Amino acid sequence: MEAQLRPGAREAIFAQLIEAGRAEQVARRLTDAIILGVLTSGERLPSEQELARRFGVALITVREGLVILRESGLVETRRGRGGGSFVIQADAPDETLLHTRLRGVTHVELSDLAVYFATIMEGCAERAALRAAPDDADRLSEWLALADWDRDAGARANAGGFYLELAVLSQSARLVREQVRLQAEFGPLLLLGLADPSVRARVAACNTDVVAAVRAGDGPLARTLVAGQVRELAEWLHAAKTRIERGGTLHAASAVSA
Amino acid sequence: MRHPLSVPDLSVAASVALAPVATAVSAAVADVFTVLDDWRDRVAAAVPVATTAELDALVESLVVPTLVGGVAAHDTPMLLIGAGFIAAADDRQASPAHFAWWLGPLAGNPLLGTTLAPTRLDLAARVHTEYLRDFRGLEWYRVPEATGRAHVTGPYVDHLCTFDFIVTLTLPVLVDGRMVGVIGADVSVTRLEQSLLPALLGLDAPAALVNAIGRVVISTEATLAAGDIVPNPGHPLAAYDRAPCAGFPFDVIARRPLE
Repeated sequence: MEAQLRPGAREAIFAQLIEAGRAEQVARRLTDAIILGVLTSGERLPSEQELARRFGVALITVREGLVILRESGLVETRRGRGGGSFVIQADAPDETLLHTRLRGVTHVELSDLAVYFATIMEGCAERAALRAAPDDADRLSEWLALADWDRDAGARANAGGFYLELAVLSQSARLVREQVRLQAEFGPLLLLGLADPSVRARVAACNTDVVAAVRAGDGPLARTLVAGQVRELAEWLHAAKTRIERGGTLHAASAVSA
Repeated sequence: MRHPLSVPDLSVAASVALAPVATAVSAAVADVFTVLDDWRDRVAAAVPVATTAELDALVESLVVPTLVGGVAAHDTPMLLIGAGFIAAADDRQASPAHFAWWLGPLAGNPLLGTTLAPTRLDLAARVHTEYLRDFRGLEWYRVPEATGRAHVTGPYVDHLCTFDFIVTLTLPVLVDGRMVGVIGADVSVTRLEQSLLPALLGLDAPAALVNAIGRVVISTEATLAAGDIVPNPGHPLAAYDRAPCAGFPFDVIARRPLE
């Protein structure tokens, strides 16, 4: 089973938007999802009317957003029966688009997002450990056993899905909601580091330890493990941004993208 | 109709003082099941003869008024925040399951925002194939399928549609002894608390409603939060009186007075 991302994290791509510059926000949300592989090549986006309803914006705003995506070469619009907007991005994340995305966000914004994401996830993990029933730990363990960490896209989907599962086990509706919103906003960027096989291996091993901590009811350990994982992913992102700003590549020379 | 659900094994005598709350809980849950029984009968009768569109229209006509107006006939407040029929996947065609499910008005939903009218759960747009493939493993479907009986799932945070702390009630729909799907309803714990609070406050001491694994649903006991599990190190079983909610997998518990 390659992609285990639960519907929440994926569907949050289409969650309501706030503030100004909405067409750009529509384009940003969908661009992130496409270039980071959450929406895959050939996939049809919801209709313009549906997107407008889901994002909570006017139809014209959605159309403007889709124009930006078309000009970026990320979607094509087909007319007639069976028509709509289709993702045309290749399966591997596009380096140029990723560079542009990472240049467009500052280190201080990345830091702040990472702190916030870590804080939410630490709380989720600690509460999950304190509140999970033995059956819950079993289910989480089974879920993780089915998760594939061998490939980039699958690892991103599973890492995001695991965060959502932890949030659910916290039994807090607010934490689940915030986790879903935050993953839509920051998840695709934060999880970029999973393109590095060594990072994938460490995240997979860490998540196994998190399940053990949840089973043992060890809240502080679950918190510490999740904090360490988010820190590593955030540090990877900072380093990648610095490489790009210096004219280098997304990945360090030693890392091989799968 | 009584629903022979599994009830917690009680190792201590039921508390007389807590019985009125337990009765109120059972009545509230039974009211919802009475509605679901009716829906189940209608859907079971329609399944052999109705097209998918006709079945959807039938379910909508049953569910939407209840999501908007509550269960008027039973004088039940608006406990339900989602309800519908989920058809079993046709294993011969390996087609995905069919969800005829409606969500009541939502506030601040991370996916749908705030809605003022019931909306249909849009399966094609919302749920990806991985989820469809394994929804049969989820408790609210798996248990009625395995037992042929009504089931109560939760409380839990639903991360599929409501993103709320809910209890899900499901009933298998049987046609010629074969399960063709489940009828279900999501009960908002917030609304359940509003409905049961007078009964809880009628007790002399703080109390809590817990499910079969001891998960707290509603609590007026300051040291027990919704979502906690009892017993736990700070809350040993011996410290609590309990009363079972007849017919359903819930107990009302209250701390014993110090002697």
